[in-house]
Amino acid sequence: MKKLVRNPILVFFSLFQPIIFLLLFTQLFSNLGRFIGSGTLSYTTFATAGIVLQNAFSSAFQSGTAVVDDIKSGFLAKMLATPVNRSAILFGRLLSDVFRVVAQTVIILVLAYALGVYPATGPVGYLLVIFTVAFFGLAWSGISLALGLKTKSAETVFGIAGALTFPLLFMSTALVSAGFMPSWMQNVSNFNPISFAVNAIRNPITGCSLDLKVCNIGFDWSTILQAYGVIAAIGVVTLGATLYLFRKVVS
Amino acid sequence: MPGIIDVSQLVKTYGDGTKAVKGITFSVNEGEFFGFLGPNGAGKSTTIKILTTLLQKTSGSASVAGLSVDSDAPEIRKIIGVQNQDTVVDEDLTGRENLILQGQLQQMHGPAIKERVDELLKIVDLVDSADKRAGFYSGGMKKRLDLATTLVHNPKILFLDEPTTGLDPQSRAAIWAYLKRLNEQGITIFITTQYLEEVDRLCRRLAIVDLGEIVAQGTPGDLKQEIGADSISLGFENSSMNGGDTKTKARHVLEQKFDGVSNVVDSDVGLTVYAKNGSYMVPELVRAFDEANIRLSTIGVSSPTLDDVFLKHTGKRIRVEEVSSANSRGMFGRRRR
Repeated sequence: MKKLVRNPILVFFSLFQPIIFLLLFTQLFSNLGRFIGSGTLSYTTFATAGIVLQNAFSSAFQSGTAVVDDIKSGFLAKMLATPVNRSAILFGRLLSDVFRVVAQTVIILVLAYALGVYPATGPVGYLLVIFTVAFFGLAWSGISLALGLKTKSAETVFGIAGALTFPLLFMSTALVSAGFMPSWMQNVSNFNPISFAVNAIRNPITGCSLDLKVCNIGFDWSTILQAYGVIAAIGVVTLGATLYLFRKVVS
Repeated sequence: MPGIIDVSQLVKTYGDGTKAVKGITFSVNEGEFFGFLGPNGAGKSTTIKILTTLLQKTSGSASVAGLSVDSDAPEIRKIIGVQNQDTVVDEDLTGRENLILQGQLQQMHGPAIKERVDELLKIVDLVDSADKRAGFYSGGMKKRLDLATTLVHNPKILFLDEPTTGLDPQSRAAIWAYLKRLNEQGITIFITTQYLEEVDRLCRRLAIVDLGEIVAQGTPGDLKQEIGADSISLGFENSSMNGGDTKTKARHVLEQKFDGVSNVVDSDVGLTVYAKNGSYMVPELVRAFDEANIRLSTIGVSSPTLDDVFLKHTGKRIRVEEVSSANSRGMFGRRRR
């Protein structure tokens, strides 16, 4: 399991959209930044967290299509006919997905750095960001894995991913701050798991409080821990479902 | 003496109620080259999946090398090599890397893998392309690589589910040649295939399955002798348009005028007639049909083949799907992330 040399093109291909967002979207809105909530920060600095998360989001949904591919191509059957431990097959899948999203996040952060986004909390803050993204990616890929195992159809996983991505992303604090949204959307955003995760990623990058009114506060642990609670809850449900469905497919 | 594969009253009913295997019993001896034949949907793949521990049986018993497929599955997996219908190679990896990965999946370590991989690359003639990505391989090369991956851990028994379907004749011949050599080295081979001439040449024994049941088993020679008659295949003109009528009419003629006919079976083009000394009967047949105003488009006589055996027991000719599934799959590229 350990030595799956991946096609590096895949990592970059799925990075295409986040990079476009990072380069163009942030430029498009650069003058609007203070209206849509980035306060004293540049919009690029504000939006980096959202883009990192958007990438983790779509990356996690590739896990589901990959597992469908494994089933359909007979690769899973071939592995199952070997003495390899059953749970190692699933664990290896998750591990490789986490590895991919971490690699992508590093690339995005390096690019953002080149665009002038400097981490307010230093390298430690970025390590925390990467850890949060990995944790989120793990929990979130559980959704697509469960879907993939249940429906055995890559199209379904793609379709659901597509249907979920923009509503969840736009009704979150990924690209604008909560204060900018109409009040009904604020309510959605307040319960949107994406908002929790974005906030926990944004704080180490900006060093600002949640409402961005006070900066230079360093780590905002209550925001971060809240996010970890939400992600953990999602993870328990999605990975639990994945494990259950995987057992069914395997037996 | 118990066989290396022992199956008794094996039944598999799927969740949706489909009875794929309805109580089959057979046994394969150690070192045998055993063919498992049947039309699509006969239950061949289901049986192979149960024997290779990929699927749980509903009832009956099945053991491989004396190990039960239920309780000793992990032990069985260590001594079997399995090639599924699909060609499974990781196209992002080179041929060599594919083999190494499989060795690791088989829990081999260190230099043992490297040695074995070099040996296998030689066996399947892929030394020159060993360090090219499998994505650039031809269909036949992928299949050979796939076969090699099943051999990494020196399995005692090889299960092959239609290993040559969709390959060009040369690649097919190459695969069969490798299999023959492996069998001569003592590996038991259990194979499903649609290529009857090859079964005839290579398999020591075979079983014919249809609709989840074994309808005949024995050596190719015995099965052919059982038919005990030449086959005369008749093709009728317009048989596609009013085939039903022509066939009924022809059957009628055969019944009335030919005592020597032992059996008449529908075929794709018309009818197949079984009779002793078939070649002597041809002129009479032609005359009789001419009188009855039945126009023949083809007529041919042959001594019994496995195809006839198959036809007799299943009522179908075995139809090889020449549309290459292996190649089309290659074009779309099975890429793993």
